[in-house]
Amino acid sequence: MRLGFVFLSAGLILAGGFSIMAVAYAAGGFVEGLGIEKLGMHGLSSLTNIAILMLGGVMVLATLLTMAERKWSALIQNRVGPNRIRIPGINNALFGLPHIAPDVLKMLSKEAFRPKAANKFLFNLAPMLAFGPVFALFAIVPAGPTLVVFGNKVMMSVSSPDFGLLYLFAIASLAVYGTSLAGWSSNNKFALLGGVRASSQMISYEVALGLSLVGMMICFSTVRLAGPGGMAEAQAAYLWGGHINLPGALGALDVGLPQWGIFLQPLGFLLFFAASFAETKRAPFDSPEGESEIVGYFLEYSGMQFGLFMISEFVEVVVLSGVLVTIFFGAWYLPFGNEWLAAQNLHPVIMGGLFGMVFWVKVVILIFLQLLIRWTFPRFRYDQVQNLGWKILLPLGLVNLFVTGALILWDPTLRYLALVGFGVMGFFAFLTLTPPRQVREEAAAAEDHHGGGHGHGGHDDHGDAHALPANIH
Amino acid sequence: MANLTHGDHGHGPLTPKQLVEEDIRERSYVPELVRGLATTAKYFWKNLIGERDANTNVLEREGTSKVVTVQYPEEKVDYPDGYRGLHRLVPREDGKPRCVACYMCATICPAQCIYIEAAEYDEADENAESRVIEKYPKTFVIDELRCVVCGLCVDACPKDAIRMDTYKHTPSEYNRQGFVYDIPRLLQGPAVTHPSDPWYKRGNSEQPDHQHKEAHTRISAGGSALAPRPAQNLVEVVKFPKQP
Repeated sequence: MRLGFVFLSAGLILAGGFSIMAVAYAAGGFVEGLGIEKLGMHGLSSLTNIAILMLGGVMVLATLLTMAERKWSALIQNRVGPNRIRIPGINNALFGLPHIAPDVLKMLSKEAFRPKAANKFLFNLAPMLAFGPVFALFAIVPAGPTLVVFGNKVMMSVSSPDFGLLYLFAIASLAVYGTSLAGWSSNNKFALLGGVRASSQMISYEVALGLSLVGMMICFSTVRLAGPGGMAEAQAAYLWGGHINLPGALGALDVGLPQWGIFLQPLGFLLFFAASFAETKRAPFDSPEGESEIVGYFLEYSGMQFGLFMISEFVEVVVLSGVLVTIFFGAWYLPFGNEWLAAQNLHPVIMGGLFGMVFWVKVVILIFLQLLIRWTFPRFRYDQVQNLGWKILLPLGLVNLFVTGALILWDPTLRYLALVGFGVMGFFAFLTLTPPRQVREEAAAAEDHHGGGHGHGGHDDHGDAHALPANIH
Repeated sequence: MANLTHGDHGHGPLTPKQLVEEDIRERSYVPELVRGLATTAKYFWKNLIGERDANTNVLEREGTSKVVTVQYPEEKVDYPDGYRGLHRLVPREDGKPRCVACYMCATICPAQCIYIEAAEYDEADENAESRVIEKYPKTFVIDELRCVVCGLCVDACPKDAIRMDTYKHTPSEYNRQGFVYDIPRLLQGPAVTHPSDPWYKRGNSEQPDHQHKEAHTRISAGGSALAPRPAQNLVEVVKFPKQP
């Protein structure tokens, strides 16, 4: 039964998230203790976080994504997707996972060709500059709570600088050097045009990207993501909440509406999502690349140099999901029951594994959303990209910023802000659920024609309004 | 809602441009973006969870999954009737090819992919007594790589000895020599017998003389293309069994 496989995969995601985080906490606690004992140094668990969170979490997810994108897009488009490569002895396609191995082998073993007239140094530098900053972005994203493991304090982010989000903006905008250098140094007209498209697109979204997050910064009065007082931990609090007494010795379960960024700043979320999607250069903002139609900035690249550009895109998807989860979706917190879970007196490794699992599950869901968007929307034309960036996202970001600021001055408990946020979400829901004017007019005309004088409403979508004869109303 | 609806009654339907300019739903893209995402997600989950119908006729698939792929080596679409497939040399009832090595097919072949070497039945042969055909192909070779699958050889054959009714395409090979089909590989499929076959002319044929003569007359009588075709059962149509 296919549904069984779906549950199996979901279970694998949960188990993977739990085990990688449990390992991360255990290794972090062990190494931290080792560092304090032998070297007298604190914070050595950053090293295990680099190894486990970034190499083990982000890179593995990005590698799986190369396959998932092909497989998921196939399912979206009524195809089967790659399923031909079999591991010898196993007569099962394993959801196409074995395809990763030949893909990687091909990338690594192909010649990295360099055009004769290309600038050798910059040509070789560009892929690294495209990949490095994107990969380094995840350093400030906390994947779990700070816990005391084996007597040592372990943080689940590689670093938690005071300037958290500013690091994000600074490093994210560095990636444009990779793309524009790739376009320029190839000494190819079309690659240069692609590089120019990429850099202009990324510059035009930089401002909106920053502005859309200022609302979140003033909500929580911080630019930090990880650590005490950071955005992640601030989202554990409830806007409206209470306790339900569970039977027996289970204690009191805390329930309520958590102050997640998505409830406080739905507009900010949309703006940040759109702007950062444009920064990832993926469809519908893929006019810098346009692999199939318009040649992009990596036209002259081959082998693993091209592979770096490609994998940096997938890493960007994972990192963007991580950042979104941390800022807007309550980081590693469940919507309810966090205090109850924290009070359960579990071993810190298990506790960290559970919270970290929640984080990675949210990340996977957001990755899925990004792939849905990538395979749903058509590519923006170049002028539409600029219009969206400068004429829509930027003014909306400013409006959002001022409204947010005013509401927080009015009510520091953020409740009014959340009410306005629900209003915004309700407005979008209203727009989506009511038929457009043309459909309404047609329905009204049909009604007039039949002489019916009944009320309107209840048109859920186009199909209903068109298909139902007026006398049914 | 009601006010909105009754606002602009006198106008006709909006043009697409008006619609985009006047309706915030269209201007903000948001409703259609959300609907588009919902459609995409619906197909994803349907195809992920749904049971796939493996019917090779994709239009008649009834599974919950909407996937239209035919997984080729495992599932094969039947070739349509009359498909010109791999050649075969039609055997007689006794297993020998019907071919009389007349070179008609080799002559008409535009790709010159048929090579025939004729030989004569030995008069001292034990079958010499029933010898009704003098020639037979000692070598009959078709280079399937050169063949352009035009079917002219089938049309040209006066003895219905070569057919393309195998409903198979030429399978792939590891070397070119593998595509050169000789008699053992070509001679396959069900035997074919016609009432007008020459061995029926002999007195010792199992078929009575008058029956053969009658059949032969009817065939020759239908010489005009405009004349009504003789009954179908005159020529025994033996179709090659389709591959499952």
